[in-house]
Amino acid sequence: MIPSYYTLREITKELISNKVNLFFMLLSLIISLTALNTIYSLGASAKKQILDALANVQFGKDAMLIIAGGGRIIGLTTTRRDTLKLEDVKELERLDFIKLASPMSRETLEVSYKDIAEKMRVEGVFPNFTIANNWYPILGRFINEKDLKTFAKVCIIGSDIPKKFNASPSELIGKKVKIGGDFFEIIGILEPKASFGHYRRDERILLPFTTAQRRVFNKDYIDAVKLLFKEGTDIKFAERKIREILRKRHKLFGPEPDDFRLITPEMAISVFTKALKTINLFLLVIGLISLIISGVIIMNLMYSNIEEKAPVIALRIALGATPQNIITHYLIMSLIIALISGLMGWILSILLMQIISLFTPLKPLFSWITFLISFGFATVTSILFSLLPAIRATQIEPSLLLKSL
Amino acid sequence: MVKDLVVLKNITKTYQTGKITYQVLKGLNLEVKEGDFLVVMGASGSGKSTLLNIIGLLDKPDSGEYFFDGQEVSKLNKKELAYIRNRKIGFVFQAFHLVPWATALENVLLPLLYKDGEITNQDRERALELLKRLGLEERINAKPSELSGGEQQRVAIARALINNPRLLLADEPTGNLDSQTTQEVMNIFKELNEKGLTVIMVTHDPEVAKFAKRIKLIKDGIFIEQ
Repeated sequence: MIPSYYTLREITKELISNKVNLFFMLLSLIISLTALNTIYSLGASAKKQILDALANVQFGKDAMLIIAGGGRIIGLTTTRRDTLKLEDVKELERLDFIKLASPMSRETLEVSYKDIAEKMRVEGVFPNFTIANNWYPILGRFINEKDLKTFAKVCIIGSDIPKKFNASPSELIGKKVKIGGDFFEIIGILEPKASFGHYRRDERILLPFTTAQRRVFNKDYIDAVKLLFKEGTDIKFAERKIREILRKRHKLFGPEPDDFRLITPEMAISVFTKALKTINLFLLVIGLISLIISGVIIMNLMYSNIEEKAPVIALRIALGATPQNIITHYLIMSLIIALISGLMGWILSILLMQIISLFTPLKPLFSWITFLISFGFATVTSILFSLLPAIRATQIEPSLLLKSL
Repeated sequence: MVKDLVVLKNITKTYQTGKITYQVLKGLNLEVKEGDFLVVMGASGSGKSTLLNIIGLLDKPDSGEYFFDGQEVSKLNKKELAYIRNRKIGFVFQAFHLVPWATALENVLLPLLYKDGEITNQDRERALELLKRLGLEERINAKPSELSGGEQQRVAIARALINNPRLLLADEPTGNLDSQTTQEVMNIFKELNEKGLTVIMVTHDPEVAKFAKRIKLIKDGIFIEQ
């Protein structure tokens, strides 16, 4: 039933006739909706940021990371971690769904420039590192095939390192740094990439893979391989195939655990968002509880409104309003409250997100979902908790209009 | 032959307050023909408002039969009663009972919201005409608080008439009015009755009762002979 213009005007006027009541009904709902929406937006924004960051390092849906050593996704390895070899990668490259494989090895070593020395992450990489990680030098050049062949003593440094060395990036090109006892010429500086939590990605030094293995790390195993798949590859299938090949090559049978970890973007996201999810869930529960409290407040205010308006309700009944008319009347009233507070809660949460974004790295995220959450929850709460008062209103006796017996 | 509009047969009504039970109506009989102007008089507590509640379908009798416009109505449900009240009965109350936030015009239109849910331009025209007939053309946009008692009662009368009722029920309609306004309002009732509208009025003002065609006295829940 669509209420007529007169009905709506009647209801609106009735609502406005008790401004204090209206104000508190709106306030209670607006506060909890704003909270709920903001909590949702924060979660969504944090997740989006993680996804963006992953996409930014070519860890989108067609990518996988193989890390040496078995165990949980993040944490200590529980097996040997010296079994992943370059030959394994060669074998994997033969799979037809592999677009690119970029192996790397790494160590944490002391790096010094002039009189400054610091422990830093040093990686041995191949030229295809740039494509595999969508990460290019902004100054100078990257490692090339020739560097690999000649075991060249050159390096690329992360964008945060010049600051540590108290030098400008351009002035460092051509200079030499000491890495684990040997001097390496700086040939390029990587473009900056945002950090993941406490993992400082812009504080690393890249060496040609061959140089790193022979001259610096002195090892024959690798630490990780970044794989890019051809578009449309079934990740589950790829994962099974890769696991099968590696287990066979590493002679792992039966219940023996993997001595490597296959990390898909989904797993990475789930690790990064797990803590976030717990906190978010907790906050959402609080949000929902506050919504119920709002509902109870609305119910009470509705009851008091109905008590106060009893003579008018009795009059409506006397003039021919059916119980259905009365219930509709109060449900439309609660719908009006829901729409106003839904809109206000939505707008306020957007503003709040803007303010939060000023103080935190989280970016405000516009989403129609919050719009739906706001109006959905507002409507459900408001109508649900107005139903009992509305039914109560139908039980008002019209005979109270005639005073004495 | 003139039709019976209201027929009450052996109506009883009991109220309970705490442990005390009052029998307000004790087997009351009444016949009101179309076009009648009946005034029911009685002391406070004699049962006259209860009688009016029952006649106006605002309350149900405990026992007895009630025929309104030929239909037995004492067993109808809330929705059916609402339908009859809306279309066949107009109410005028001592305390006027206008919706405080609505204008005079909106108050007059109110019963129509429960008739079709819609208000047409024709409805508006009719409401304006009624207000004009009652001398309120200048006050259509005034709120009840801005109207005098007499004006408020005239708005209430216009509201009672908007659905062309068969019966006009008035509960002490002049109880809150001064003597001059009382005269004006009673003239309106008289005029409406002369045009064929059946009126049942409850009052204890003998001056008001003079306008009636018939007067009945109620005492302790039954009519007594004059």
